[in-house]
Amino acid sequence: MCPRNTVAARGNLVNMWNYLQGRGEFLGFLTYQHASLAFQTVLVGTIVAVLIAIAVHRLPLFSALTLTTSRVALTIPSLALLALLIVPFGLGVVPSFIMLAFFAAMPVIGNAIVGLRSVPDSVIESARGIGLPRRRILFSVSLPMAWPVILTGIRVSTQMVVGVAAIVAYVLGPGLGSLIFNGLSRLGGTNSVEMALTGTVLIVVIALVFDGLLVLLGRLTIAKGLS
Amino acid sequence: MTDEKTGSAADTVAGERTVTGASIRLDGVVKQYRGQTKPAVQKLDLDIEAGHIVAFVGPSGCGKTTTLKMINRLIEPTEGRIFIGDRDVTGEDPDKLRQSIGYVIQSGGLFPHWSVAKNIGAIPRVLGWNAQRIAERTEYLLDLVGLDAATFEDRLPKDMSGGQQQRVGVARALAADPPVLLMDEPFGAVDPITRGRLQDKLIAIQHELGKTIVIVTHDFEEATKLGDKVLILSEGGHIEQYATPEEILAKPATPFVEEFVGSGATLAHLTLSRVKDVEHDPVVTARIGEPSDEVIGRARAQGVTWIVVVDGDGRAQAWPSLDEVATKDRVSDYVDPRLPVVAPSSTLNDALDSMLAASQGGVLVTDSRGAVTGALTIATVMAVIRGQLSDARAGDGHVTYTAHTEGTTP
Amino acid sequence: MNRLRRLPMDVWFEPLLIVVFGTGYILWYRSTTLTPTEEASLGWSNLRTTILDHITLTLTATVIVVLIAIPLGIVLTREKARPVKPVVVNFANVGQAAPAVGLIVLLTMWLGTGFRTAVVGLVVYAILPILQNTIVGIDQVDRRTIEAARGIGFSGLRTLVQVELPLAVPVILNGVRTALVILVGTATLSTFIGATSLGTLITTGVTLFLPKLLISGAILVGLLALIIDWLGRLVELVATPRGVA
Repeated sequence: MCPRNTVAARGNLVNMWNYLQGRGEFLGFLTYQHASLAFQTVLVGTIVAVLIAIAVHRLPLFSALTLTTSRVALTIPSLALLALLIVPFGLGVVPSFIMLAFFAAMPVIGNAIVGLRSVPDSVIESARGIGLPRRRILFSVSLPMAWPVILTGIRVSTQMVVGVAAIVAYVLGPGLGSLIFNGLSRLGGTNSVEMALTGTVLIVVIALVFDGLLVLLGRLTIAKGLS
Repeated sequence: MTDEKTGSAADTVAGERTVTGASIRLDGVVKQYRGQTKPAVQKLDLDIEAGHIVAFVGPSGCGKTTTLKMINRLIEPTEGRIFIGDRDVTGEDPDKLRQSIGYVIQSGGLFPHWSVAKNIGAIPRVLGWNAQRIAERTEYLLDLVGLDAATFEDRLPKDMSGGQQQRVGVARALAADPPVLLMDEPFGAVDPITRGRLQDKLIAIQHELGKTIVIVTHDFEEATKLGDKVLILSEGGHIEQYATPEEILAKPATPFVEEFVGSGATLAHLTLSRVKDVEHDPVVTARIGEPSDEVIGRARAQGVTWIVVVDGDGRAQAWPSLDEVATKDRVSDYVDPRLPVVAPSSTLNDALDSMLAASQGGVLVTDSRGAVTGALTIATVMAVIRGQLSDARAGDGHVTYTAHTEGTTP
Repeated sequence: MNRLRRLPMDVWFEPLLIVVFGTGYILWYRSTTLTPTEEASLGWSNLRTTILDHITLTLTATVIVVLIAIPLGIVLTREKARPVKPVVVNFANVGQAAPAVGLIVLLTMWLGTGFRTAVVGLVVYAILPILQNTIVGIDQVDRRTIEAARGIGFSGLRTLVQVELPLAVPVILNGVRTALVILVGTATLSTFIGATSLGTLITTGVTLFLPKLLISGAILVGLLALIIDWLGRLVELVATPRGVA
């Protein structure tokens, strides 16, 4: 039960400090693992999402269908999808990666489609009118104009993935989730609270840092002239 | 009928017109916002007579909207007192106070999730009126503002034009029959033609009800058209002049007023003359389906070269020349969408605008129900201008515009 | 009638998925034979209990969250709360980033295992979306409509109840719906701290190497999430006032 007097509270802080001592490298490694997993899955998810959006955005029916599917896909509980994936793929990194990449892609698909479709027809028409080929228009005009919206989708994705990645430890996947699960399995034992707390806090830190970096990326890459 | 606009407006209160309004008095009212060096409104003393329309005009930042909002205490005065009728309302419960004052803002401010009827009934419901009374009042008000009750009662604001929304806004403000009506740039969000119609409608309503109305506007023309008196404010709520429009145009009190009113004041006089004050030409009317030769015969007898086609209520449908009429056996049922019509309360300025918009040399004058009573030609308007100019400038040594040569300085 | 004509795609798409996957699962369930171990979890009486437990957990948490978050959101949009609001909003944003499983485990260390702790964990996790949506929903009501309401003599309370809240309902309901879906999924994690839910079916399936359990748990909870999302969508459509987008 939660101690209410300051002596015991100070005791908790001391415990935490003791726990952290000497584990710097270990914690650093787990943090790096978790961040790297999040980074890679968001990257893969984004690329797949943008490719799908490019393929689909000019067709209204498919766009609507893809948008709805991506939104519905987000209702799938992460543990459920993870469990389903270990049947064919076993435990470890593979199902973890696939699940996270899948969830990372969903917000980005939605935003990418909306962003690409929001490029005014008049702009596309004038680009065609001056003779730009389709692919050039896509890469020089549509994507840059859709980029702010896509970036917002990536931010949502990243925050979600960093949090959800905590549960892949259940299937022996990498990352800080293992700290939380280990803490849980030792419930009541030494260092259980410290492990779970450290794991949780570090995950929050990673999420905030990534979000900050994405905001910075936005400031650097969003062309002036687009709000 | 007493007309409340020309001559001395000050003594119209005791005339034949009904007055249901209450007087308003601002006594030493100040509004000072914290952290600002100058007050938004410095000591303001103002007396508004019951049954008058007063227009507040001035450049942005002069405090006209702030002053308006202090009357119904949407903005609380820092100092000073406010009287409505004989009541000191400075300390009253603000919500109750506002329930007894009508308030109209730009684009109506209607509640988007309520129908027109529900919007109008908003305050009556708060006051506990029964459903029957509210329904009757709603029908009366919609008719008053010129909207067909059956069509509009259940409409949603988003399915109405800006002008229609504004009319409902006025109806809502009048729902509980308040003695005072406050309007903040009420006609700013509509096109000029609609604005003119709404202004005429307000004058007609005022004629029937005699409320005390305060209107904030940045448009001096609108102020002179609507106001029995006009209050010109400069920065900080400083009163530059508070007088009838005629007086302001004839004798501007300060250089600020002169500059504000503009050096083009000669044509501004057109806003002082009403359609009903000048001569109308008679019109020959015809109904749809009448034999053309009869109609042409009647017209020729009167010495005119055109006729006005009217419907059963006397409302104008088209304005064809006799040649056009002669092309068919009977008068056709064609309705001209660009027919220029004005009300008796419209200013000559409105009349000129309508003529230009329709590319016609005249306008049709209608009465309060929309039936055609005569025509006003551009020649009449020009005569009025010449007459006013010569009156104003006689003996001044100024160049009259008839003598003005293009390209030389006046 | 007019409203039906403008049915958006997700109103029929989700039921389609639900019917397809639901029927598929039921058919499989009927036809398959279960070993005694599997029977223990997947037999109909046990399965029904598990599903009901999950729903109970979700609904309890939802009711509590709504009762806390919506009034709190309303309070935070009032004038007097102006200085406090950015602090709370920023704190909420940071909190969003916390992993659900971390929150639940930490709470267990403080409050012990079981149903009650699971509910607390779910409540804490879902407060943020509803709070944010309530604040955004009320803030996006046109200032001029509010001014008009106060100007004609509506009291502050009446304006809130008859004007601001109805106009904020679509956004608030959307937040509740999002939170509900999150809760259905997060409720699976309660199994780690001793509260039964469909997540228990999944974890038992993993631990004992029983794919049937695992797949059943996953599909059932997926179906449940879809059903709740769809019902939420219907409520949104019905509860949106006529004159509002």
